[in-house]
Amino acid sequence: MSDRGDNEAPGRRVRLRRIDGELILLWTLPAVAIIWIAAFVLFPGFTPPMSPTMPAEQVAAFYRDNQWGVRYSMILFNWFGVGLVPLLILIVMQIRRMAHRTPIFAYAMLGCVAGGPTLFLVANVCWLLAAFRPERKPELTQMFNDFGWITFTTLVPFLIAQSVILALAIYFDEESRPIFNRWVGHFNLLVAAALVPAAFVGLALAGPLAWDGALSFWLKNIAIGVWIVVMGVAVGQAVYRERAEYRQRGEELVSA
Amino acid sequence: MSRARHNPKRELWLAWWTLVVFYNFFFPVFFVVTRVQPPPSPAWDIARQVQWFRAHHFGILVGFAVVFLIAGMTTMCNALIAYSMRRMSVSPVFAYSYLVMYSLSAVPGLLLLCIALTVGALRPERDPELIGWIYDFAFLSFTGTMGVFLIGSLVWMLAILTDKNRVFPKWFGYLNLCNALTEVVVAPSWIFKRGVLAWNGQIAWWLDVVVFGFYTGVFILMLRRLIQREDFGTGPLPDLAPNKVAAL
Repeated sequence: MSDRGDNEAPGRRVRLRRIDGELILLWTLPAVAIIWIAAFVLFPGFTPPMSPTMPAEQVAAFYRDNQWGVRYSMILFNWFGVGLVPLLILIVMQIRRMAHRTPIFAYAMLGCVAGGPTLFLVANVCWLLAAFRPERKPELTQMFNDFGWITFTTLVPFLIAQSVILALAIYFDEESRPIFNRWVGHFNLLVAAALVPAAFVGLALAGPLAWDGALSFWLKNIAIGVWIVVMGVAVGQAVYRERAEYRQRGEELVSA
Repeated sequence: MSRARHNPKRELWLAWWTLVVFYNFFFPVFFVVTRVQPPPSPAWDIARQVQWFRAHHFGILVGFAVVFLIAGMTTMCNALIAYSMRRMSVSPVFAYSYLVMYSLSAVPGLLLLCIALTVGALRPERDPELIGWIYDFAFLSFTGTMGVFLIGSLVWMLAILTDKNRVFPKWFGYLNLCNALTEVVVAPSWIFKRGVLAWNGQIAWWLDVVVFGFYTGVFILMLRRLIQREDFGTGPLPDLAPNKVAAL
């Protein structure tokens, strides 16, 4: 990656780099989305979300009765939980095209990319562990279940950061030729705000803040879902625009 | 160009202020809100550990919620430090290595503690044996996550010492070595339950926190100076007052 000095030339947006493979990665996104939705629906603990007020015996019974559902869904999530990374890296690549003076935003975004999936995998392992030996002492199963849910609900730090960083990167871009429209920035701030309540999940075992509540579960997960769809489209548009500019530039060079 | 209207250093200042704001939350959250630092003793019996969770219940749940909100700000700090290495005459390998190591460090070195203590505080009526296990898991993951900070600091040190662009003074390179050494002396906290090397000991905690606090203060000032001196060139970084360059 060369990121010093290439912000100067007016032609930097048509920098010569191989962008064709990006479309393949972009179009994996609908497949990943479908798999995520399938795994979400398959996980018996999400439909409806398990209550934090369940006593230990009931939690143990849940994993006994739903052992296979937990395994199928969480193995799917284990395979495809990182499926979003290419989208995030595509965003990094678009940030690098913006009219910034430094690569700070791209670096910060790059630093966020692995955080969300890593925390998600911790939660994933806890749920799979609980289902591995449901005959274990119920208190132990409940503890793995607590770890799974608390980790899953509080995995927001990097998601909040990447939305805010992207919003700031967009606001700092050149207004006349933006890589993303301003509304993408506003939208990202809105999504970041929607993820905030989930951080406070520990404060309540029932109600909207609890891990099965309207704010910590529904608002947070719907916000993530909407973000994936909107950013998938926004990044897609940016990548196609970049290709068009690249092609145009190529033709100019040939006719010159 | 419209760009000329803006302060050319505004991205760097944004990252620097993010760093300052982060540490202004970080230290109060750990020392005042949650009061999990200075840490409780690993030598306590389980009844006392359970009592500790009860006494810190609300602080843990609110304080770490704040950490979950702001932990992502560390990526801006890491980005700025990575940038400092890109400004040096050294290979980009240093910047990217540091960026990846410190980005991943937040999970085992910070967030696992917050998650574990939140789980511990969540159900005060949980089996005391399990609360005791959560207690150990929380403090040992926090204190005992060493390599990312150890190698990360050494990478920054090596970059500073081999840099020819005078981005940082060489003594600051050696200060990184001090920070790296704190990660060496905490290793025995995985072994000892009492004494100076335990996770709350005079060496493994008090000495290390003083070094880390000093190091953090210094690198915040060093990064500020870097931004002030930044000329967006690729050669040696000028001094603050251009006519004093020859003084070095």
